[in-house]
Amino acid sequence: MADYANPEVLVSTDWVQEHIDDPGVVIVESNEDILLYEIGHIRNSVKFDWQTELQDQLIRDCVSKESFEALLSEKGISNDSAVVFYGDRSNWWACYALWTFKVLGHEKCLIMDGGRQKWVDEGRELVKDVPERAKTDYKVSAVDESIRAFRDDVLEHMSSGESLVDVRSPKEYSGELLHMEAYPQEGALRGGHIPGAVNVPWATAANEDGTFRSADELVEIYEKGQGLSKDKNVIAYCRIGERSSHTWFVLTYLLGYENVRNYDGSWTEWGNLVRAPIEK
Amino acid sequence: MTSIDEIVREFQDADHQEMIELLIDYSESLPEIPKRFSERVDKDLNRVHECETPVFIWIEIEDGKVNIFADVPEPFPTVRGLVSILVSAFDGLSPEEIESAPVDFISRLGLAQKLGIRRVRGLSAVYARIKNEVKKYSEVT
Repeated sequence: MADYANPEVLVSTDWVQEHIDDPGVVIVESNEDILLYEIGHIRNSVKFDWQTELQDQLIRDCVSKESFEALLSEKGISNDSAVVFYGDRSNWWACYALWTFKVLGHEKCLIMDGGRQKWVDEGRELVKDVPERAKTDYKVSAVDESIRAFRDDVLEHMSSGESLVDVRSPKEYSGELLHMEAYPQEGALRGGHIPGAVNVPWATAANEDGTFRSADELVEIYEKGQGLSKDKNVIAYCRIGERSSHTWFVLTYLLGYENVRNYDGSWTEWGNLVRAPIEK
Repeated sequence: MTSIDEIVREFQDADHQEMIELLIDYSESLPEIPKRFSERVDKDLNRVHECETPVFIWIEIEDGKVNIFADVPEPFPTVRGLVSILVSAFDGLSPEEIESAPVDFISRLGLAQKLGIRRVRGLSAVYARIKNEVKKYSEVT
């Protein structure tokens, strides 16, 4: 059985348990459900809220370099900390947080395979105490936008026939729905997908227990199933760029693709752009 | 019973962290539903399908008062908390009071500003469901 391209970015629940008190490791919980951390979290873990902390609160963008520095300094994360992300919904939000950390140039980022669900299912300890970490003086050395695609990049990418992965549900892809099934509409005026995009819903990459599928299964899904390959440039998108960060993580780290970008403008931008090409 | 205005004031005065604490309290205080609902085989008829999380609502009107019962699984504390606010605000009111309750009740809580707009998706659907059920019930009786 093939191994992941970068197996070192995934750590197990056992590994996290052993490193809870490791001063070089910071465990970060990032969830969709905003109450889960307060109800109970891995001891010594710190909470990041993807929406109020990892996004700019005025313009639609990732958190600014200055705010990110202030945020990480406040939470006691150093430039050389190994940050282990975990969260609810098969690490969907953990991957989004990791992607944002990578854009802001944080070097050592890991994911706890299986996320919060696996930790809870294994009956491991959850605590309510928020750790008191000494403040740091975090500095962003370089912002890395090579993993991020903007609308003009997507247009160029599409025009030259390069690979696009739409990770939304089949009904969103077909244009039947403008938003995730059962989620209220979030403001796209047109339905459909970017021409040429293949549809691989993000959760296809996750097992029932929240862990990632094996390397062989991922190859089957993305390469044999949809014709993606390591040598291609790939852009992943969804509705607001969070589900696609999960797929970005899978393609980049688990399958080892060297040129994958997450289009965080995603459908809520594309589906509103005047004259943006759409296929149904 | 907490009045609608009291709940609105409670939320309007809260900062981000206080709002989280409030929601946890609401989540924990959502009353268990009676067995006559939980054991029903047609439970799915009472599911609010606009919500991604399983949310079930039952409405009964007795002696001029509306009784609201809601069920949300524990692994979804935020949704439980949000639904519990509605139960707390409207359980025990008269059908007329519920029908005339402010349409902007949810937006007045300020959840969208303090917690992020996407977190309250679905709650409006639950609110609409309660109002519609009460209206339907009043029409047939």
